Amino acid sequence: MTTRLSRRAFLASTAVGSVGLTIRFPLFGAPDAAAAAAFDPSPTLTITPDGLVTVHITKAEMGQGVGTALAQIVAEELEADWKDIRIDYPVASEKYGLMLTGGSWSVNWTFDALSRAGAAARLALIDAAATSWKVPAAECVAERGVVRHLPTGRSLGYGEIVKRVPITKTFSEDELKKITLKKPSEYRVVGRWTPRLDIPEKVNGKAKFGIDAFVPNMVYAKVAYPPTREGATHGAIDDSAAKRVKGYVATVALPDVVAVVATSYEAAVKGRDALKVTWNAGPNASVSTESIFAKFAQAKDDPALQNWHEQGDVRSAMGSAARRHEATFTTDYVAHMQMEPMNCVAEFKDGGYDIYTGSQFQTFAVGTLAAVLKVEPAKIRLHQHYLGGGFGRRLEPDIMLETALIAREVKRPVKLIRSREEDLRRDFYRSATLQVLKAGLGPDGKPVAWENTLVASHPGRRWGKDFVDKQGLDQFALNGADHVYDIPNQLVRAVPVETGISVGYVRAVAPNYTFFAVETFVDELAKLAGVDPLQYRLSLLGSSPRLARVLKLAAERAGWGSALPANTGRGLACVSAQEKKTPTWTASVVQARVDPASGAVTVEKITCAVDCGIVVNPDGARAQLEGSLLFGVSNALKERGTIANGALVQSNFNDYQVLRMNEIPELEVHIVESTEYPTGLGEPGTTTVAPALSNAIFAATGARVRQVPLLPDRVLAAIRAKT
Amino acid sequence: MATLLINGKSQTVDADPDTPLLWVIRERLRLTGTKFGCGVAQCGACTVHLDGRAVRSCQTTLAQAAGKKITTIEGLHPEGRHPLQLAWVAEQVPQCGYCQSGQIMQAADLLARNPNPSDTDIVTAMSGNICRCMTYPRIKRAIKRAAQQGGA
Repeated sequence: MTTRLSRRAFLASTAVGSVGLTIRFPLFGAPDAAAAAAFDPSPTLTITPDGLVTVHITKAEMGQGVGTALAQIVAEELEADWKDIRIDYPVASEKYGLMLTGGSWSVNWTFDALSRAGAAARLALIDAAATSWKVPAAECVAERGVVRHLPTGRSLGYGEIVKRVPITKTFSEDELKKITLKKPSEYRVVGRWTPRLDIPEKVNGKAKFGIDAFVPNMVYAKVAYPPTREGATHGAIDDSAAKRVKGYVATVALPDVVAVVATSYEAAVKGRDALKVTWNAGPNASVSTESIFAKFAQAKDDPALQNWHEQGDVRSAMGSAARRHEATFTTDYVAHMQMEPMNCVAEFKDGGYDIYTGSQFQTFAVGTLAAVLKVEPAKIRLHQHYLGGGFGRRLEPDIMLETALIAREVKRPVKLIRSREEDLRRDFYRSATLQVLKAGLGPDGKPVAWENTLVASHPGRRWGKDFVDKQGLDQFALNGADHVYDIPNQLVRAVPVETGISVGYVRAVAPNYTFFAVETFVDELAKLAGVDPLQYRLSLLGSSPRLARVLKLAAERAGWGSALPANTGRGLACVSAQEKKTPTWTASVVQARVDPASGAVTVEKITCAVDCGIVVNPDGARAQLEGSLLFGVSNALKERGTIANGALVQSNFNDYQVLRMNEIPELEVHIVESTEYPTGLGEPGTTTVAPALSNAIFAATGARVRQVPLLPDRVLAAIRAKT
Repeated sequence: MATLLINGKSQTVDADPDTPLLWVIRERLRLTGTKFGCGVAQCGACTVHLDGRAVRSCQTTLAQAAGKKITTIEGLHPEGRHPLQLAWVAEQVPQCGYCQSGQIMQAADLLARNPNPSDTDIVTAMSGNICRCMTYPRIKRAIKRAAQQGGA
């Protein structure tokens, strides 16, 4: 797999992720004859003679407003006039570096590089204008898309410069690094209210998602999928009835699935439904939720457990602790349920493949397709569309591969759209988990020893060795277990378990379940110590002042400590999500009411405070925070994927329910002003909800619920167990 | 062969009478603003108007739609400037945007019948439409904004 890149390597060198190392300049034609010429100072930026600045967005637009935010970063240092800014989503190419959207990384990874790309382009434009005027560049300034010579007042627009003046200045990597960027106090685009560029076409039906792609001469495929998620194969295929369907084109048997191709979507459905396939269900035919948790329970005592995070000496500290506490937390499978079911159009043409879809991980998709289809990566032309929700689902190239393989056989462009049922059945779920937490408390009630045994399936193991560490552990299945509380002795032991159920990355990933356990357990320790949960946390956050600050802010705004009606409580959670190295400091207070008769929980209000450093697009940031919190409510209250006979039991929105408008709480969000380097906002809010809600249920009822989702029967069982 | 009156235009479609209107609109007529989300009337992404009332086009057959006036998001307003569309931009509602055509068509049906909906009216009318990005608070605000500005 030639283009498979190490995710970890890129984590270490994120600044070069999307801009390339050297700013390059094309040759320009003679003045006035260069109407078609454009200035491409970096792969992510083009200035055309009409004065328009197009920022090429190499991150997936899946609702986070990333295109607008990244364009703001470029425009800021370029001194472009915002009205001249355009964005597009180019065909995947190696020149863009790692094309991966996830982890709340986009702004964090690109802020510095895009700032420098914009600044370098500005300096080159100034240099070109100064040369043409035969004046020192130091006498010129750029503002709002115009270079001005201060002593004479002469000026040239960026478009005019591109059209008339040879641009020759280049920058080495070192020179790029040495450019002095603006101070936050000088920003006039970053941090300002800027309407999102993708919104107008999302209210009139014009936005093109992958499912909206059409190619001439296209046919439709529908696929018969096996009865189990993993390990099944097909035996005999009888397509005699399918062949009688009007519009039938072909039957294509792939290694694990069988497709019927027809001239229309509905004919393909009828043809596929008429197929008779004998399936060999394989080794996972009896896998169930019960068998998986039984396997987890065994795995937690596995002697081969590996230490993922370790500091101090937990064993001796635990042994000499004044008091000890232990609790077990479990979480269920969660599906992505992005609104746009997985789909793709693929065409085999000129020895290569045109792929039309929305991808969160073009680099991985191109590498995987090239390897399996046995063509050079450059022969995979991945045409990016809007994503009708990503949430991690569109990191996976499965639908592209399936469609391309079918297209290769039928030698016509193929459109494949999974039904919702197929989408859910073929999803890569957030792993179910089991975590055993143990703590030893000192005489002052503070923890001196902390141990977490974390059993889960690790998605990176399916993706390959580039996505796991030397121990075979996927850090993205563990992040958050290495919380920031000041506890001298800590140990996180990890147990990756294969279950026969495919797992992947679902919005906010591991910190959903790690912080559920950590933040509920800390609440339990506060109770044991007889200290208010807010004060207890603050006493452990001496080395994380930014987290302490948002925690205090959220608590204050939520009226922490004030009286509430019966059966109503408030709970706290504070996190360093998504990763300890690049945390967005996030704290939430959830206020919830519990019906003691039924165990039903109503989330009344969430007060959230966040410090994510510099905020590029304030309203977009707020929207991400609102969405991520409500996504967390949906996860925490409702979403439970169960397994029977080796597959997910749930089939559609009727039995896999997500939050609807009649269930949303009041939201109050505070994003603190900061001049720190920006982190991300797509996910951290999500991770605070389940623990804060579990803690609120405890505050309301005195019952601890250590299973997510916090379903009524679980709450009721906890209430009954207490009395 | 069926003749559909869609967004004021008459269109002839060669498809079986039991074909869901959704697939006719999207894949035959290529009015792709109407989205496929669940196929079982659980999510509302496919909502269009049939003789002025919101319906789930995934559960409406071609035969049921023939002869009726069909309006999709593309035909809600000739310039895409229906008060709800303007309010959706003003409140910066969409995130991924996939469900928003259905949300707007559902809200348009609400405002046509109830120009000044209460919070409860809005929640009742809109709870059949799922937004996985969870833009619900902004959808509520946008509907109120459109109503205040004479929304229907």
